[in-house]
Amino acid sequence: MTETWFLATLWLGLALLATLLSIWLRIATALSEIVVGTVAQLIIGAVISSSILGAHEPWIKFLAGTGAIILTFLAGAELDPDVFKVKWKEATALGIAGFVAPFLGCAALAHYVLGWDARASWLAGVALSTTSVAVVYAVMLETGLNTTTYGKVVLAGCFINDLGTVLALGLIFAPFTMRTLIFVGASVVVFAVLPYLTPRFFKKYGNRPSELETKFLLLCLFGMGALAGWADSEAVLPAYLIGMVLAGTVGKDHVLIRRLRTVTFGLLTPFYFIRAGSLVSVPALIAGYGIFLILLLGKMASKFLAVYPVTKVYKSPGKEGMYTTLLMSTGLTFGSISALFGLSHNIIDTAQYSFLIAAVVGSAVVPTLIANAFYLPRHLLHSPEEEQVSARKTAGRTFPVKEGESI
Amino acid sequence: MINTVLIAYDGSQQAERAYDFGLDMVSRYGAQVIVLSVARPPEPPVNVELQAVLESATEHYQELFAKLKAKAAACKVDPRFEVRVGHPAEQIVHFAEEWGVDVIVMGHRGGSFLQRWLLGSVAKRVLSHAHCTVVVVR
Repeated sequence: MTETWFLATLWLGLALLATLLSIWLRIATALSEIVVGTVAQLIIGAVISSSILGAHEPWIKFLAGTGAIILTFLAGAELDPDVFKVKWKEATALGIAGFVAPFLGCAALAHYVLGWDARASWLAGVALSTTSVAVVYAVMLETGLNTTTYGKVVLAGCFINDLGTVLALGLIFAPFTMRTLIFVGASVVVFAVLPYLTPRFFKKYGNRPSELETKFLLLCLFGMGALAGWADSEAVLPAYLIGMVLAGTVGKDHVLIRRLRTVTFGLLTPFYFIRAGSLVSVPALIAGYGIFLILLLGKMASKFLAVYPVTKVYKSPGKEGMYTTLLMSTGLTFGSISALFGLSHNIIDTAQYSFLIAAVVGSAVVPTLIANAFYLPRHLLHSPEEEQVSARKTAGRTFPVKEGESI
Repeated sequence: MINTVLIAYDGSQQAERAYDFGLDMVSRYGAQVIVLSVARPPEPPVNVELQAVLESATEHYQELFAKLKAKAAACKVDPRFEVRVGHPAEQIVHFAEEWGVDVIVMGHRGGSFLQRWLLGSVAKRVLSHAHCTVVVVR
């Protein structure tokens, strides 16, 4: 066990360092953890041995995998079901456009320009098709558009976009066998029963120090994850869907969500993101930096083609529409999950994984920097052309500061 | 004529000084005072973490506002407290414009090179873009 404790100390030390960096630089913790993982592997590998970090140890894989599953569940649980009740058709159209364009575009780019094989190209398409709901949500809060129809459609579209990514990841690479049918059938039953069963079960036995709620949710996530793995699918697929179907019930239990977040951010996701970063090959990345740039530009261009016209349809002003489009080109969580899935299932090699992770990280950083440099703060300042939309911006811009209430 | 004063507040020592300065100003002019704090998402915002950061920031400012309210009561001033989400400079400028504020009072934090590069100096951006008088308290 001594070796395990030493290894755990090393990983938690890296996690703490990554967190401090994220605080000092005000960047996302996940981004910081990926970079710290990459640099740590590079330095430790050069100085001592590349096996010191132990990224392939089963217990590290377990913690990292659990981190990805719970993070995905929590992401799904952030969905506001009421959003879908308003304009669900438009949201679905936007989400499908936001998914399909980069999925097909980046897959074609990888296959025809970079010469990747079919499975690796599809994986590249999946990894670069995501949109960060969080980024778009933050933009909507900043601009006050979160309460408008436009904002709701875009936000709901982001969930549909990510659902497309997760479905593609879970189903494209799974061989269609009897196991797939059993998995799909069981999923349909579980997803139908859980929204009914869970709140009643929690009401009767929950709110005790024994943390029944957490155990129940983990049981569902692990059980469906195991079934997905058995069918050669991916565990994050049922996790995201369970999150979505429970968003209206469990997702509104702030205390429970906070407890899950504590264990997720405190222990699990550092293992996931640091591991994802540690598997990146920096020499391969340097040797083929052009590939990374092609993938990054492919993602941004295909997102632009799909999303910008939609913002115009909804009469979003020029600067604001461009700002939304730029930030819809980001996507760190599902992008890294997809790339790691490809590497662990031998769909892509280490070099391809490195290019994809770099493109995913780049897609999180570059659009944000461009948006901040050219669209802030001017995009919020009124100009004559924006007068007509200023009224709809005003509603819901400030947040009441009341005891126990959150934004 | 000064009718409304906006104090940008982030809980720092400089913001405390700006708050004291602002209170003194409004008590002299009999103006309305609004205290604005901005919850800043990480760059880039990431699923799940964003919501956690926003909730944590809201709670943090709730505690600070309770202390500020007590301080203001001693000066017989009744401030309005607001929290917004986004980049501090743009939110301060936009809020001031929206509410027709006459003076913005704020501190100057400095910040690291990287922070300035990523976000720009908040005070500098507010000075550049605000429609009204800006007082930067040092």
